[in-house]
Amino acid sequence: PRSLLRPKPVPKRSGALRRKKCEPAVASSLIKKIFSHYVKMPVARDSFQAIEKCSEKYFRQLSNDLEAYSSHAGRKTVEMVDLEVLMRRQGLVTDRMPLHVLIERNLPLEYRKLLIPVAVSGNKVIPCK
Amino acid sequence: GGGRRMKRTAPRSILRKIIKKHKPQLRLAANVDLLVLFYFTFEHECPGVVHLNFLLFLNRLAEEARTNAFENKSKIIKPEHVILAAKVI
Repeated sequence: PRSLLRPKPVPKRSGALRRKKCEPAVASSLIKKIFSHYVKMPVARDSFQAIEKCSEKYFRQLSNDLEAYSSHAGRKTVEMVDLEVLMRRQGLVTDRMPLHVLIERNLPLEYRKLLIPVAVSGNKVIPCK
Repeated sequence: GGGRRMKRTAPRSILRKIIKKHKPQLRLAANVDLLVLFYFTFEHECPGVVHLNFLLFLNRLAEEARTNAFENKSKIIKPEHVILAAKVI
């Protein structure tokens, strides 16, 4: 029982250097998990740095786009319409697949309620599929 | 990857912080925050729905990188495959 009281040796972390930067980013473990899920083959360890760099560029681009759309509309705040326009440009939102349908299908109820307080569709009939 | 279940969402505050880093003067309306989160929603829990943005991006990156690896007769994804893939996207 005495051995239980002895403090465990703390393993030296080599990641301390990286943590100093403290830049907000999506957790590298999450990126790693998603990427290796899609790629379905072994990935060299140093490849993940390249993937993270690409992800950062992706978010920079996203930020640029959102700024461009909102400032084009003369606003300083990104509104829902800006994302809708962005998703339309990417082909995620189309006339047959309006944003609120995407939301209804993908978000859990408590978020859905916040985004769609009333039905946006009016009396339009949206063809299913 | 493998059999483990993927998390459905990404932390909202991180997404907010990332955009804040790039555009400090830009403000996000509350609902927009949720939509950015919505960008992250995982497809796996409700199959058949659209892949969303960042995931779609990672998926394309993964597929391009795999193609590059095949072309180089490599059995493993190397950094150059990823970088080459990123240029295509």
